[in-house]
Amino acid sequence: MKFHLSHLQAMLLFGLLISIAFGFLSRRRALDRVKYIAWSLLLFLLFGIGIGWAMYPFSR
Amino acid sequence: MTDEAQIAAVPPVDSKREARAIAFGIAGWLVPGLGHALQRMWGRAITFFGVVGVLVFVGAGMRGNLFNSQGGDAFATLGYVADLGTGGFYLLAKYIEVGGPDVSHAYGDYGTRFLAAAGVLNLLAALHAYEAARGRKG
Repeated sequence: MKFHLSHLQAMLLFGLLISIAFGFLSRRRALDRVKYIAWSLLLFLLFGIGIGWAMYPFSR
Repeated sequence: MTDEAQIAAVPPVDSKREARAIAFGIAGWLVPGLGHALQRMWGRAITFFGVVGVLVFVGAGMRGNLFNSQGGDAFATLGYVADLGTGGFYLLAKYIEVGGPDVSHAYGDYGTRFLAAAGVLNLLAALHAYEAARGRKG
């Protein structure tokens, strides 16, 4: 069995799974969990893409 | 207040409850989510089982490096500890990854991170199950 995920797909999947786990770990009410998961995922993506672009000038 | 009075004010440690909490923590480590399932925290139990399971499944499918006990340096040992954190899923990853790791590609390297993250996350969940059983977390 092989998975060939692209950089973006891997980051999306990783961010989503970790956000869900942290949301369930740190919040009790369903609405709080959803808010936490959405906010955490957004930050994952923002920082991931931001760091990617920050490294772009040094990539070659 | 004297020292004796201060000592008496500390609540006695319930050894039975402590043993139960340790058992829940170990159960949660061996099978992700089991520590919460035994405490009827179904949402958390299903979530941790699913998240750790998917991370291990995808990480092994991406041919990430699953460390073993014969690591040559400190990083390999740390990786082994992190991978062992997945508990029973470590054996599942070994079973899935029959071709061995391939970190010559980016997805193999990502797979290594997925596996390590699954282990650390499961250890965190097991610790949460232990604390919840002790009455410290809700």
